Amino acid sequence: MLDGESKGKGALQGVRIIDLTWLQVGPQATRLLATFGAQVIRIEWRERKAVDFIRYSPPFAPDHARADGGRSQGVMRGRGSHGNFDRGAYFNNTNPGKYGITLNLNHPKGRDLLRTMVRNANAICENFSPGQMDKWNLGYDELRKLNPQIIYMQTTGVGKAGVYENYVSYGPTAQAFSGLTFLSGLPEPHPPAGWGYSYLDHSPGYFGALLLMAAIARQRTKGTGCYIDMSQCETGLMLSGTSIIEHQLTGKPTTRYGNRMPFLDWSPHGAYRCLGDDNWIAISIQSDEQWSAMIAEMDSPPWALDGRFASAAKRKQNEDELDDQLTTFTIGCERYDLMRRLQARGIPAGVVQKASDRFDFDPQLKARSYYVDLPHSEIGTWPIEGFPAKLSRSPANVGGPTGRAAPKLGEDNDLVYGNIVGLTSTEIAALREEGVI
Amino acid sequence: MSEDGNLRSSLANLTVLEIGDQLGDYAAMLLAGLGAEVIKLEPRVGAPSRKIGPFASVSPDRNLSLFFWRYNLNKKSVVLEVDNQDAQPVLAALASKSDIVLLSGEFETVERRMALWRKLAETNPRLIICTVTPFGMDGPYRALKATDLVQMALGGIMAVCGYDPDKNGVYDTPPIAPAMWHSYHLGGEYAAVAMMAAINFREISGEGQYIDVSVHEAVNTCTEVAMPTYIYSGQVVKRQTARHAAPSVTRERLSSSADGVFMFANLSPFEREQRALAQLADQVGIGHILQTPEFAQLEKEDRVAAAIYRNDLLGEVVASLPANEIFARAQALGLAWSPIRRPEENLDDLHFKVRQSFATINHPELGMELRYPGTVAGDGHAPHFSYTRRAPRLGEHSHEVLARAGLSDAQIANLSEGT
Repeated sequence: MLDGESKGKGALQGVRIIDLTWLQVGPQATRLLATFGAQVIRIEWRERKAVDFIRYSPPFAPDHARADGGRSQGVMRGRGSHGNFDRGAYFNNTNPGKYGITLNLNHPKGRDLLRTMVRNANAICENFSPGQMDKWNLGYDELRKLNPQIIYMQTTGVGKAGVYENYVSYGPTAQAFSGLTFLSGLPEPHPPAGWGYSYLDHSPGYFGALLLMAAIARQRTKGTGCYIDMSQCETGLMLSGTSIIEHQLTGKPTTRYGNRMPFLDWSPHGAYRCLGDDNWIAISIQSDEQWSAMIAEMDSPPWALDGRFASAAKRKQNEDELDDQLTTFTIGCERYDLMRRLQARGIPAGVVQKASDRFDFDPQLKARSYYVDLPHSEIGTWPIEGFPAKLSRSPANVGGPTGRAAPKLGEDNDLVYGNIVGLTSTEIAALREEGVI
Repeated sequence: MSEDGNLRSSLANLTVLEIGDQLGDYAAMLLAGLGAEVIKLEPRVGAPSRKIGPFASVSPDRNLSLFFWRYNLNKKSVVLEVDNQDAQPVLAALASKSDIVLLSGEFETVERRMALWRKLAETNPRLIICTVTPFGMDGPYRALKATDLVQMALGGIMAVCGYDPDKNGVYDTPPIAPAMWHSYHLGGEYAAVAMMAAINFREISGEGQYIDVSVHEAVNTCTEVAMPTYIYSGQVVKRQTARHAAPSVTRERLSSSADGVFMFANLSPFEREQRALAQLADQVGIGHILQTPEFAQLEKEDRVAAAIYRNDLLGEVVASLPANEIFARAQALGLAWSPIRRPEENLDDLHFKVRQSFATINHPELGMELRYPGTVAGDGHAPHFSYTRRAPRLGEHSHEVLARAGLSDAQIANLSEGT
């Protein structure tokens, strides 16, 4: 441990991760390890073409945000400053709890320094383009010669092994390829709606943390190393499993079904428009009892008593018309008031919450202290998204061992190269001068 | 990349008791894929997820739910009415030999069952107890009713998925919850991560613990830039057809190939990609469009207009060839493009065959084998997750498990009566 590290009861206390990841999918995995107390050392390089794209992608912290302030100084509409690499909001949210150092892997001395660090690490993670680490002679087979117990995780779009090993892919590419994009949206002839973000930059990160922790638990007891060739596309397949099985039985192509529930007699089942601009409520009726309660809440309008909607099977059969009729009711309702009234009658219903609703209003997230305020050395203290479970004895701690949000680029060079690698300040200065760190 | 580095039996010494519904199915299956013995304790009528279709039969059958099949590979099924008094000594016997108890379902049900498990944890301090509930075990929403759709709405994923607004900026289609129960996936993945953290903690401390997973929070973690955009800039992102939600509506991006397949074909501002597009345009015979003096001037004077022009050209390039041809050519030039496949199109892709991405599962009752997506990673030779057994029939392992727990044949028959 380093002086000043928070001494919580971390499940991964004493574990060191060499983190060469960038963008989202790799950093998501190592974020979770830091949350459980691992010492994650994020390695970056300061040249524009090498630095993590997310560091200089919007949104940014507002220009007025300073180290001794943060959100208390106010948010700012618009892009904020992009004058340096340390004001990216999304980067700050993705990389809390990690140490940050710079290291030039194109320099032979940089590669030697990495080898030194790998000798005393539990795991190394990367999501470079396939083959990059081999070009540097830093692939798994090389690194395990230095540390036979090392765990090496490589995350790529389709997976390193196989026939597409040189294919390039971002999260949305993998979503399209795996079938997840197709599955989202209204039935044809509507095109797929897909995902409004890179889902496959997130889920493979959770899986990455899961597999790394499985490997670490085994390494702690048996000393076994491990190579993990993580595939974003395979993760996409894991998440569309039922449709793939159904296709094998029926031989029919998979179809889209919007927000409906084709596999149970649940109806109405969808998002319905409420009062206001683009306000919606999700209603999910599972039984005749719930439908009767819905009718009562609507004060029994004549259309709802029509025989065409009298049973679950009939509602399913006339679902288009049912949705139109139900909207004539919901469109006059304030969305949260309607959610409260329906829930009071035992009907599953929830507002389609926007980010503003979740952050400013959601009383459940507030009560569970979901957002965690963490300081950043340049932009001050901001709320960071939390971990979705409470653990009684080794609690999740998004601030990790650093107790901070994301590191500034190279923020911990002196600390890491001095206290972990064991270099003198003269040696560190010389390496900086040579363009190695 | 040695074989012994494979993780498929890394949890082989763990026993997991699973009691509950679809909120817990997936998390327990992930542990089972890493070698844990997962024993699912079900009521006589079967676990609730046995009622979720589609079914391999014309009418619903609790042993033929494809949903249940998909999320219960490798598990054992034992019939036990866990809420009955006479089950308590059986649960105590099972708990003394278990490592993890996973309780899932609605708050009231899980809360009621927790009373017993708190007591049993006193006699087995190494026991890890994990609950997975729609909103977590405390807070004002804890007892609200939820389904996957409601969780996707409250958790924020729906608001960022869907279609473009109309020409006047008004949304005429609803927000969309992407299909296939992703709130259960997110809750399950985080539950598995949390349990794995607890396993690690037990290795160093000898202590078990209690874990409270909230599906609501799990969904909330997964909306990417939507939340930082709001927290830092006060802007709310808008949903848009098959592309990232953003503070303003961006250019349409869905294009269609010569054989009518939608393509994900995107162009980043990097010069490398713009050069690749020019090469691709050359290959299909329309590259001259980018070589005119007019375009050169446009690029100098109006970068936005030039980008729109280039985007239109991209659509023409995609439309000029069949999807697989475009895919191969674009990838060869380093463009991260892909056809928008149906999931089942991957069944016959050589890449996934080589990686053994699909586990072949025998269904003797059907007289056939089915291929299930079975891993997210490999070790260079074989998948890290291993699935070999189909989901259990209701009570299939009652005798095996309960006899091991010390019950007589008569006691076992009595507990399963009425199944």
